[in-house]
Amino acid sequence: MTRTTQITILVVLLALLSLFYQGLWGDPRHIPPVLVDTRAPVFEGPDVESGEPLSSEQYKGKVIVVNFWASWCQECKVEHENLLRLYDEFKDHPEFVMVGINYQDEIPKARAYLERYGSSFPHMQDVKGALAIDFGVYGVPETFVIDKQGIIRHKWIGPIVDDVYMNLTQNVLTPLLSDPTSTLRQGSGPMASPSIRPERSGSEVEGRSGQST
Amino acid sequence: MFRLFPILILLCFVFPAAGLAKVVDETEIDQKVREIAKTLRCTVCQTENIWESGAPLAHQMRQAVRERVIQGQSTEEIRAYFHSRYGDYIMMEPPKQGINWLIWLAPFLLLFGGGVLLWREVKGWVMKTPAPQPPPTLDETSRRRIEQELHQDK
Repeated sequence: MTRTTQITILVVLLALLSLFYQGLWGDPRHIPPVLVDTRAPVFEGPDVESGEPLSSEQYKGKVIVVNFWASWCQECKVEHENLLRLYDEFKDHPEFVMVGINYQDEIPKARAYLERYGSSFPHMQDVKGALAIDFGVYGVPETFVIDKQGIIRHKWIGPIVDDVYMNLTQNVLTPLLSDPTSTLRQGSGPMASPSIRPERSGSEVEGRSGQST
Repeated sequence: MFRLFPILILLCFVFPAAGLAKVVDETEIDQKVREIAKTLRCTVCQTENIWESGAPLAHQMRQAVRERVIQGQSTEEIRAYFHSRYGDYIMMEPPKQGINWLIWLAPFLLLFGGGVLLWREVKGWVMKTPAPQPPPTLDETSRRRIEQELHQDK
């Protein structure tokens, strides 16, 4: 067997092994999300605090930040302060809405959590986790950004902290809220504007639209 | 009164049968849920399907499958729903398309490639091995000497 053949075989074997390794032990955070750039599911449920019915239909035409959380989730506590900060930063924008979805939780515990850590935006109950499956959620916390046309433009698995927060506010939310043409982008292939360009770091995932980075 | 007796006996058979029909119906749902759940991967586990996994998310997914089965959705519709939410990753058997073909064909390609290599190597060894030589013939002098020595031993 020639040396070239030996090297070729070795390279092919190593490539296959790395593929299988990635498939077996890969972090689900890095799996390309299928929901980004698709229409967001309609979500509705009772408000955690008041019990009043909430529905995504009432937020039509707005940029919606949807955050899945639970009182038993430690990472949710880590990001909670930033979520309040994020809401404060954008709450005055008429086209901004933020909704928390309380995932598989006991309502008294969820209410106690909000009382303790603060609550400034509405939170929807998802006791059975059906909404989470509709959004293809793997675990909490997970955050989605839906544009004015109801298309999911961004997804983040894990807490919104540090660079993730900066990226979400500066590279995702600000462009979506300030660019009126963003409403026309859905279904039109890659975005022409470089407005949404999240940095590809950690477990961040973005739509194919953001591949112009 | 006695005329009603056969009717009462008949009713005794009819009502348990109705109950039994319900049980059979539930079993069919369970069976379909199991069949579908076994084809869906628990997204937070390592190579485990949602039927066998004890993870809360897998439990939720089983419930979602059950609800859709009860609603009358077909196996393919239910699988398509989960696929639309989680992509190929949720399928225990990756769809036979695109890059996934690598997963399906790689074992056979490796087996075939390995077989060819082994055959080539073995063939090379065989070629290099010298053909077996016939045993050297005994010349007459040596034969006589051996016989002589053997007789001496006796």
